[in-house]
Amino acid sequence: MIPLTWYLALSAVLFTIGVVGVIVKRNAIQMFMCIELMLNAVNLTFVAFSSYFGDVTGQLFVFIVMTVAAAEAAVGLGIIIAIFRNRESLDVDDASILRL
Amino acid sequence: MWNLLPSVSQLLFVLFGAMALGCAVAMVAQRNPLYSAISLVGVFVSLACLYLTLQAPFIAAIQVIVYAGAIMVLVVFVIMLLNVEEEVRRPVRLRSLIPVGVLLAAVLVGEAAFMLQIGDSAALAPTAPAASDVGLTASIGTGMFTKYLLPFEVTSVLILMALVGAITLARQGRTPLFAAPGNVTEEPAVLTEGGELALKPGDTAATGRAYAREQIRGGDAAAPSAPAREEDER
Repeated sequence: MIPLTWYLALSAVLFTIGVVGVIVKRNAIQMFMCIELMLNAVNLTFVAFSSYFGDVTGQLFVFIVMTVAAAEAAVGLGIIIAIFRNRESLDVDDASILRL
Repeated sequence: MWNLLPSVSQLLFVLFGAMALGCAVAMVAQRNPLYSAISLVGVFVSLACLYLTLQAPFIAAIQVIVYAGAIMVLVVFVIMLLNVEEEVRRPVRLRSLIPVGVLLAAVLVGEAAFMLQIGDSAALAPTAPAASDVGLTASIGTGMFTKYLLPFEVTSVLILMALVGAITLARQGRTPLFAAPGNVTEEPAVLTEGGELALKPGDTAATGRAYAREQIRGGDAAAPSAPAREEDER
């Protein structure tokens, strides 16, 4: 059987890739997608623990995380559209002044 | 059903884990947001397969439906709508800080390896997931609507707030508010296709007043009886 640590290591690496993406990327939509990747890495940890300990709570929290991710997608894309309408660009360096 | 040979399950883990890692790296490395989105769908699908190997079929299905389906369609839709151009390459700033970053990354990797090592020897020793009904829809639903009912309901409030916020943010300019009396200075005339004013069920007071004025102007009604006529039409 697969050790639990394999799943945890994979999750950690995925999360780190997401963090690197958020730091490195300039495009707002790509930063947004990197945040989704981080949420998914955490979900993998939840499901792995839930399965290995035979407790359903972890999977319930995955469900709630997905709901939060959907809400975040709606609000985040709304913000992105508002920024693009004002600046004609999605580069976050162009929007470094928090003024429209 | 889940009594796979150990080698097969490890093979599946390596396959889907490598797929997830490769797609994640491709997502960060891509300059075109659309290619990034497609790579992210690959990550989502690989993770769904990993959930299946972890005996969580419900979460796997939700992963594909909600993430790969709904959220990514929304993202791709926005990318297409905004016609995003590729990222421009910029010179790296703060080049002197790169060794510091490498050092900190090494520390982080060391910490993570240490923690995983501890976990291996302690209570987290690998135990095969016992064949159970933990991942099935019935047990998830039971947990969600009994013990975790309050978080579930709070989540629905969150969704409602997100809905209102998204509409407010993405609104183009000033939206005409609901035309309550006193809220509208310029009363718009609502015309039918024939060019006549018309009242429909659910019309606002402003429309009704405009209708009454039009009636008076056309001589269909005397000025004092205009309000009564308006009532009749409704």
